[in-house]
Amino acid sequence: MLDVVYILLTLAFFGLMVAYVRACEHLGREGTGEEDRP
Amino acid sequence: MTAIGWLQIVVFSLAVLAVTKPVGVYLVRVYDGSVRWLAPVERVIYRLCGIDPDEDQHWTRYAAGLLLFSAISMLATYVVLRLQAHLPLNPFHRAAVPDRQAFETAASFTTNTNWQSYTGETVMSYLSQMTQLAFHNFTSAASGVAAAVALARGIARRSGGRIGNFWTDLVRGTLYVFLPLSFVLALLFVQQGMIQNFHPYVTATTLEGAKQVLAMGPVASQEAIKQLGTNGGGFFNANAAHPFENPTPWTNFLSTLAIFVVPAGLTYMFGRMVKNRKHGWALWAAMFVLFLGGVATAYWAEAKGNPIHAAHGVDVVASATNPGGNMEGKEVRFGIAASALYATVTTDASCGAVNSMHDSFTPLGGLVPLVNIQLGELIFGGVGSGLYGMLVMAILTVFIAGLMVGRTPEYLGKKIQSREVRMAMLYVLIFPAVILLLTAASAVLPAGLKGLNNNGPHGLSEILYAFSSVTGNNGSAFAGLTGTTYYYNTLLGLGTLFGRFAMMVPMLALAGFLAERRIVPASVGTFPVTTPLFVVLLIGVILIVGALTFFPALSLGPIVEHLLMGAGRLF
Repeated sequence: MLDVVYILLTLAFFGLMVAYVRACEHLGREGTGEEDRP
Repeated sequence: MTAIGWLQIVVFSLAVLAVTKPVGVYLVRVYDGSVRWLAPVERVIYRLCGIDPDEDQHWTRYAAGLLLFSAISMLATYVVLRLQAHLPLNPFHRAAVPDRQAFETAASFTTNTNWQSYTGETVMSYLSQMTQLAFHNFTSAASGVAAAVALARGIARRSGGRIGNFWTDLVRGTLYVFLPLSFVLALLFVQQGMIQNFHPYVTATTLEGAKQVLAMGPVASQEAIKQLGTNGGGFFNANAAHPFENPTPWTNFLSTLAIFVVPAGLTYMFGRMVKNRKHGWALWAAMFVLFLGGVATAYWAEAKGNPIHAAHGVDVVASATNPGGNMEGKEVRFGIAASALYATVTTDASCGAVNSMHDSFTPLGGLVPLVNIQLGELIFGGVGSGLYGMLVMAILTVFIAGLMVGRTPEYLGKKIQSREVRMAMLYVLIFPAVILLLTAASAVLPAGLKGLNNNGPHGLSEILYAFSSVTGNNGSAFAGLTGTTYYYNTLLGLGTLFGRFAMMVPMLALAGFLAERRIVPASVGTFPVTTPLFVVLLIGVILIVGALTFFPALSLGPIVEHLLMGAGRLF
């Protein structure tokens, strides 16, 4: 029974990490106005 | 302390120095694509997996590749461990690994931690050991180096946030670095008497007439990548204290050296990539000073021994017939110096292999491995994670130096501004947050306290060490903590995941942000990063960050235990 819980926990963790990537990307753009893209 | 003990440490240090440049040069050639001797194999892998090896990925895509690969391989390991009873290469009919341990083990090996709450020789089938655990030993190491190379590219070039290709970095690291190095090292181990077979277990009769079952298996091949990939998960429960896993002084020396080979080479590789070799050596010097401080402290504390033993008439002075000091939990074949050296190296790097039991060290001797882990596993460090951890600290160092003189900080020609510092601080803060929150919870919750074998400050040290070890992706155990419960298996598994990926993501973001910046030439206001002053400042930042975050917890654990030991109390 707990197999499902552990598999869902794993998927939830990596889903959280994907959201974290997007949050970091957002933080990188937010309000800096300093990007000097090529 | 003895002259021969110090000689071992000096010879080891010289060996690390000697391998740094050749390994670094080779790593540069691997990751710039100029090493091609397995090109046909590479092409087949790319074609089968649908990889475009020429794609230069944006950091978000690089991170997504890393997360996707880790998620799929972790789930595959979980499934195999749960189904091993029905799968081949299971001659001893091992049952399914319990769900909680399968989760923890899958997470632990995916993250290069290799924390083991099971006894390898009695729980895992050969199939599980060879296709899952050994697979992660290679790929988790290669993905760590890939991430470090990505950060180095971000610093070295201006490419609109593009930092390389995760899939080619992963494949090339595995094919050209870890497989050949492991092959050579495994042959050396076999030559020294380490076992490598698929024989059934052997029943032996001891001198007392008792029957003892001796586990067999493909140990040498696992041992090589276990050390080179800073994985640390032993084939046997006793890890490198087991005579089949560490049969001679030479295997002990080679396996200790193997832990530092790639991390040391990465510092030189970084210097070459950013066209500032002196800076690569400056990073190496900072790592070496911290290593030397750790090993000297551990050796001194263990050689001095426990004053309570001396008070009871035990001879703790080293002589020709007595190693002296604290020999509890140490393999008599290796003695105090080699045990202190191994304990320091395995926790400087995020290896976690052990040839002695850290729980049996004196309080200050045991403090060294704990502090090494808590500094962020950056003293040479895990393969890849050591270098990128040190680079984050270097960026914070130039930031602080910039604040001191009132100039915009630069690091190797890249301006360090708010978004870079945000990512660096995320990286630095997540680590202690995970360790301290989980330790605090476990120190008060009944489920956490239930696993303790010792009370008082030593019990706190056991909990603190466990969460530091998994979050630092080290994997060594202080022992004394019963981790085979739903509470600990689940939380320790989650600790490994957060300690790996919640730190890698901001580090890759930092790489991407730096890759967007143009390279500015050095000016009179640029803080030089090749001088002894930089090395001292870097070491200061590392120690201050570590001390500020962990000193209160350490003072309640090993430090108070040391003071009470002086007053005659043990825990």
